[in-house]
Amino acid sequence: MIGEISHFLSLSAVLLLGLVLIFNLFFSFDKFHPNQLMLSMRLFNQACWLVFISFGMYVYLAISDDFSIAYIASHSNSQLPIFYKVTSIWSAHEGSMFLWIVFLSAWSIFFINSLDKNHPLKKLTLLMLSLIILGFLLFLLLTSNPFERILPFGAIEGADINPILQDPALAIHPPMLYLGYVGFVISFSFISAYLLNGNFELQWEQDIKNWSFVAWIFLTIGIALGSWWAYYELGWGGYWFWDPVENVALMPWLAATAFMHSLFASSRSNVLKTWTMFLGILIFTLSLFGAFIVRSGIIDSVHSFANDPERGLYLLSFSGLISLFSLSIFAYRLPDLNSSKLVVTGSKESFLSMNNILMITSIFSIFLGVTYPLIIESISGEKISIGPPYYNTIFSPLILIAAVFIMISVDALWQRSMSLRSLFFNVAAPTLLSLLSLYLIWMTTGVFSILAYVGIFSGLLILVSYLFRIVNNFFNKKYINKGSAVAHIGLGLLFFAVSMNSILSYEKNLNLAPGQSIMVNESVQEFSFKDIQVLKASNHDVISAEIALLHDEREISLNPQKRKYATRGQITSESDIHASLLKDTYLTIGDQLENGSWTFSLKINYFIKWIWFSAALMVFGMLLTIFKKKVL
Amino acid sequence: MNKLLRFLIVIFPILILVFFAKVLLIDEEIKFSNFEKKNFPVFQLNDLQGNQVKTESLDGIKLVNVWASWCITCLVEHPFLTKLSNNGIEIIGLNYKDTDAKANAWLQKHGNPYLFSMYDPRGDLAFDLGVTGAPESFLLVNNMVVGHIQGEMSQSKWETIFLPLIQKARQDL
Repeated sequence: MIGEISHFLSLSAVLLLGLVLIFNLFFSFDKFHPNQLMLSMRLFNQACWLVFISFGMYVYLAISDDFSIAYIASHSNSQLPIFYKVTSIWSAHEGSMFLWIVFLSAWSIFFINSLDKNHPLKKLTLLMLSLIILGFLLFLLLTSNPFERILPFGAIEGADINPILQDPALAIHPPMLYLGYVGFVISFSFISAYLLNGNFELQWEQDIKNWSFVAWIFLTIGIALGSWWAYYELGWGGYWFWDPVENVALMPWLAATAFMHSLFASSRSNVLKTWTMFLGILIFTLSLFGAFIVRSGIIDSVHSFANDPERGLYLLSFSGLISLFSLSIFAYRLPDLNSSKLVVTGSKESFLSMNNILMITSIFSIFLGVTYPLIIESISGEKISIGPPYYNTIFSPLILIAAVFIMISVDALWQRSMSLRSLFFNVAAPTLLSLLSLYLIWMTTGVFSILAYVGIFSGLLILVSYLFRIVNNFFNKKYINKGSAVAHIGLGLLFFAVSMNSILSYEKNLNLAPGQSIMVNESVQEFSFKDIQVLKASNHDVISAEIALLHDEREISLNPQKRKYATRGQITSESDIHASLLKDTYLTIGDQLENGSWTFSLKINYFIKWIWFSAALMVFGMLLTIFKKKVL
Repeated sequence: MNKLLRFLIVIFPILILVFFAKVLLIDEEIKFSNFEKKNFPVFQLNDLQGNQVKTESLDGIKLVNVWASWCITCLVEHPFLTKLSNNGIEIIGLNYKDTDAKANAWLQKHGNPYLFSMYDPRGDLAFDLGVTGAPESFLLVNNMVVGHIQGEMSQSKWETIFLPLIQKARQDL
């Protein structure tokens, strides 16, 4: 019964949103009446609340083990703790789409109610938002209905959640990511409304600035958490795989980052406005593209949901339609938008426009990497994978160019060219210091790789430049933009950590019987296999090994495990990790060999922690910018 | 310039849309190519443990699966291969343009459905076989290649292409 009520509420939301659209389209030719907007707002708010209540009831259904609902029956289980019963809702396509729509409605209802009731763009923004929510609700109910019942008799027991998803990270990684993705519906709708409205005297930047910043924070945290989860919990052994699904999350992130930079220039000095608008539309377009890639099953990926051409076609047509709609108005209005104001060479604006170009290049390169296998497949029928080598070669020069521009631009001024003298100091000192550090790194590690060294050098350039800036601020009281400095130091650190990780990390495969011990290399002097045990846990068996390591004169004990889950028969590997400031010791247990010994894979990963730390710095820098008293 | 830009902003997304629609709508039906039987190429390779692979080990009905640790699609088809191997299908891996350390680590982590894997870091044997990328699978009957599947091995491809060939070969043997 509750299932039907929940279903009915979602259907009613569709009806109300439909009413908002019909009502406004039919009566928009009449003289605008204030009550019209008021009525539309009420309908819209109620529709959003219906979606929230419907989702709340769905959560209740999951908690109370209603296995007559097909989706819950195939993704949950009565043995699960309540926590995982709730998170199981977004462990597959239907439920996660539902969550996506809940977030979409939440962002929309907050934003639209925050706008003044006389705001000239309020009505058009409301219509855009209604259209988008309506489209996705219909997608949910028509092609991926989570309310479907198993009739006439429901299942007695659920099929269980995939064991690798029985993890606290599932509770936060997808929701954070979705909050980020859909948050940019605000810039998308608002800019589209602005372009439709056609009054270009309006200042629109301030109204969406903080909303986009917050969405960016969610997106950044979401991506970083996904990477953290893959590394620490899923035991994939790495933090980034250039998997198609990671790529489609990175594209909106890059667009959003460019958008925020461009937004500063637009609102501050009235330049790059077309850029900013284009990027504002592009972010959500890329989010939709991502949803399409993941949910249509068009690309094989470790992340993708089940393949269903019908869903893919609906998503493609609907996302394509609204993106194309916005892009077309943008193209139509383009001649009127060009500002007469020119960007001064060497000013802050000029560097920001450079940033836009670099970001668009990166997005396009990733886009090419994602679609290239599909293009090849449709031409020759072959399936190929494009992996890290492509992305590493593309990104290392881009990163270097970006770093050089960041280095030059730390002292740049708004609307004024920088002096040659400060330009010289900005370039010479960091370059020399970075080259020196690079030489020292080469001497101490003895490893050389051109791509990695380009990355390390780029990271150092940024770090050293900002270091000078901070020193200058401390002694000469020279102004420093704290948020920007923290975020860019995070970026420099990210380049540095990722590149150092790639040259220093290594992996060893070992073969040992219980009781044996061996020397691996100079740094891992002793690896002893103390014991192995078979234990029983509630829903799985555990094989747990006890290993003692002598790593760089430090004693470490590790317990890598293998688990066999009863319900699905799936075997998972639980790596054990010992983390220190500089490096992680990462141990996975493999199979037992015929002679009774076991195989192990020992990985030493350097600078991993620094990667998360640099993401945290970027988020912190953004927070500083949001909470600064007088922004811009 | 401006006109061209306006044109591109609209045309480029339309092209992308059309392309994806086409990819989605391509009939997933697998084309039966007129596959010509041929002898398995002569080769000299080691397995991933460093032992030389004997030609006799390819006798009987064997599935040769081209894989690599860098290949995401290989990870996708991996559970299906594991299922086949549990059902008694003998699968031999051809580790393609990979390093043995990475390949062994991959097998340790995800499980090993292969009897053994031939180690072909330069892609010599793969070249002679006519491999275009990973994953690819070949069906061998007594050292003769009788069937070929490009890309991910799925239940439907298995049932429509390889299974009839295997049943025929079992009757003949």
